Amino acid sequence: MTVAAGVGYALIGLGPALSIFVSVISKKPFLVLTVLSSTMFWLVSLILLSAAWRALLPIKSTAFWPYAVLILTSVVFQEGIRFVFWKLYKKLEEILDLFADRTSKRRLFLTDKLQIALAGGLGHGVAHAVFFCLSLLTPAFGRATYFVERCSHMPFSLISAINSLGFFMIHTSSMVIAFNGYAQKKKSDQIFVPVIHVIASIMTLINLAPGGCVIGIPLLCLSAAGTLLYCWMLCLHKTSLLTPLYSGLPVTVSFEISSRARLKLP
Amino acid sequence: MDRALVLFIVAIQLVVGSLCNVAGDNSTLESVPDLEKAMYFNAHGYPCVRLLNLSGEIGCSNPGQEKIVAPIFRQVNIDKLVVPSFAVLTPLEELENLLLRVSSDSKLAQKIAGVLVEATGLENRSLGFSPDEKFPQAEFAPYQNLSFEWNPRGSGIMWKRYNFPIFLLSNESTKVLQEMATQNEKNYKAYPSNVAEFDLVMQTTKSENHDSASCLKEQSCLPLGGYSVWSALPPIYAGEPPKSILLVMASMDSGSFFRDISFGADSSLSGLIALLAAVDAISHVSNLNELKKQLIFGVFTGEAWGYLGSKRFLLELDLGADSLKGLNSAMIEQVFEIGSVGKALNQGVTTFFTHSGQDTSSTNEILDALQKASESLGSDNVNIKKADATNPGVPPSSLMSFLRKNSSISGVVLEDFDTSFVNKFYHSHLDNNANINATSIAAAAIIVARALYVIASDAPLNLIVLNSIKVNVSLVDELVGCLLTCDPGLSCGIVNHFISPSSVCPNHYVRVFVDTPSETQRPQFADDTSRFVWNFLADRTSAPKKNSSPCKGECSSPSDVCVGAETESSRCVTSTTRYVPSYSTRLKFEANSWKILPANASDPSGLADPVWTESYWNTIGLKAYKVQSSTYDNFVLLAGISITAATYIATLVGKTYLLKALKHD
Repeated sequence: MTVAAGVGYALIGLGPALSIFVSVISKKPFLVLTVLSSTMFWLVSLILLSAAWRALLPIKSTAFWPYAVLILTSVVFQEGIRFVFWKLYKKLEEILDLFADRTSKRRLFLTDKLQIALAGGLGHGVAHAVFFCLSLLTPAFGRATYFVERCSHMPFSLISAINSLGFFMIHTSSMVIAFNGYAQKKKSDQIFVPVIHVIASIMTLINLAPGGCVIGIPLLCLSAAGTLLYCWMLCLHKTSLLTPLYSGLPVTVSFEISSRARLKLP
Repeated sequence: MDRALVLFIVAIQLVVGSLCNVAGDNSTLESVPDLEKAMYFNAHGYPCVRLLNLSGEIGCSNPGQEKIVAPIFRQVNIDKLVVPSFAVLTPLEELENLLLRVSSDSKLAQKIAGVLVEATGLENRSLGFSPDEKFPQAEFAPYQNLSFEWNPRGSGIMWKRYNFPIFLLSNESTKVLQEMATQNEKNYKAYPSNVAEFDLVMQTTKSENHDSASCLKEQSCLPLGGYSVWSALPPIYAGEPPKSILLVMASMDSGSFFRDISFGADSSLSGLIALLAAVDAISHVSNLNELKKQLIFGVFTGEAWGYLGSKRFLLELDLGADSLKGLNSAMIEQVFEIGSVGKALNQGVTTFFTHSGQDTSSTNEILDALQKASESLGSDNVNIKKADATNPGVPPSSLMSFLRKNSSISGVVLEDFDTSFVNKFYHSHLDNNANINATSIAAAAIIVARALYVIASDAPLNLIVLNSIKVNVSLVDELVGCLLTCDPGLSCGIVNHFISPSSVCPNHYVRVFVDTPSETQRPQFADDTSRFVWNFLADRTSAPKKNSSPCKGECSSPSDVCVGAETESSRCVTSTTRYVPSYSTRLKFEANSWKILPANASDPSGLADPVWTESYWNTIGLKAYKVQSSTYDNFVLLAGISITAATYIATLVGKTYLLKALKHD
């Protein structure tokens, strides 16, 4: 496949992460730190998961349900510690706000919080890409290509890169939605994130069927697009451009913004 | 929104649930190295390598310094192809025709990047396959008729030069590559295509040497050679009056188009096995010291490459070298060679043919002795016939070297053919144990043993002793298993009793002379067969000894040698068994390199000597894998760049939009 293809696959899988990093994150050192620590946090979670499952792998069964159990337990664990991640962030937010008050600097804006959530999600997405895709890219730089028996339509590296891209989008968007859900105590957001994570992960089982990747990969791209759209609508919503989907919320939102703006005044 | 989500989940679960019967994969990839192993198939193949002589090159090599990568297609389809270069997968039956076409059609030769030969052997063994010439080594014949066809099946392909690699595949690799070729043929132009990667880069190609003289000077090659062995039965003691010598010889090397797979079963390892069994049979005769003639057994190597062993033996004999101490060349009266003796059994009757030089009384003595030996076997049906008088002379054999030197020497060579080889696989990789019959070899052994006793013993002939000489048939079978098969091969009992072999599969290609030729009797680089023959002969020709002590190489008495020095059961025996280096008579080792001596007009066989050398090489390998077209690769790169750029733009647009929306507030 050669170096050109190897670089291409790496860009498909991790290029968007690089773009977001350069355009949004790199401008603020705090966000860079957030991304790094988030990546570390989620990598550790994946390592813990694989350590826990080590004894039972590789799964020698030909049925799909052991894989489903593996996926479900992993997703449940990750969603569980997402809440822990949120709690850590809350603690950090309190410290930052306290510090801001003491040095009479401004507190965290809505946009700041959205950016921090985005950075957290980016860290999660990058951790997923590094764990699941990066090492598989090394053979892609060599001369040979590889087609899996059950999916002879696309090279294996391409499937791997697209999967990585899909889950990157899902994780990045999910963190923004989840942070908002926990902050606003909105049930719909809190449920949406784990559900979409479970659905997207279980859908990858379709790839186990011969020729299943023709359905599985587009479905994954669809769910990634869906999550991205939900996230974008949420952001727009928070900046009160769209008509409210839920009653009562815009008042709270605009009150929050205006109260923050009022504090800005000397 | 919630209800839609729930419906979605249910639908997905139904789909997933219906996929209960998921087909299992035979092999799961558990790590990146596993993936790489699945991507690249390391084919197992036997290469044909680059050999050089004084006037040029033969054999195969990568044309440059890089690996060659080309798509694989089967030989029947190559005329339909429009790709500029390809690798040909051919059955063995078509190899000769393909290579002859390549030699005559330069356009085809440019398109062929490499040749892969299927392992399936020959469908019809009666077709035969012999890459050697129709008169092998005709330039060394002691007579004029050089167009006589001793080997009518010969195609001569092993003596031509090919500018591409050729590999003989193993059985498993053949199946895999056949599948790959079929996949390629489904669509001749499309990607992904299956390619073979050949690594047969030869040092002489890199340093641009195209003949022996230049490559020896630049040290990018080494001359062919090895170690011949001679042994005296009974041992020669210093101070004894010299007896007239009967030299019995055989050769222990052979040739093949693919250097790593060369058993040489009929030609001429069958002769070697018969010689070893005959020595074993005679050694049981008591009072060998009373024989009127001295029996000397010589086993030469390098005979397939210009009679290196026999010519060097004669040269060293003339020069009075240390390795031939005790042998007086003037006393060599009769020479008896055991050639191919593995295919003499035909419908229950074993017939050997004697080919001889000049008709002298000594020659007739040998022929009479053979007849007496045949008669003594009674009803066991071993016939000895004289070869056809219309033959121009002796067939290709070590005897030719002796006759070239002295045309009046009394020499006879025992063969299983009359006017042309019955061996249809002469000097090919198919001359293996399926090509010979152990009964035929055992018959030759007993005939030779008894004939030697008849010649060497004084008149009147002791018939009781003659009839007591019996060949050990299980020894013959064991030696066939050791020297002509890979199972048990050199891991068999009798070989391990004497040496610790370096490999299991015996390979009778003479290989290169790695040492500096010296008079040492413990050469470091003698190959497994030479060392085994030396130890076997030393053991069988040794005088019986009462107490023998284990040794590591040296023995206290000068007339003693250490048998089995590499094993646990080593011991010192009294035996006259020596190594004689075997390399071209036109070469001399001087100042740490090989020098080619100028041709001497008084030595015509030296003029004919091609001085074979083999190129150095680093690694030899064959891989097969799938590749994509470069357009696809560039497309993937473009896709990656565009996704990255699109995300960047989208993020900037989104950020500006959101900030603008905030400012409105």
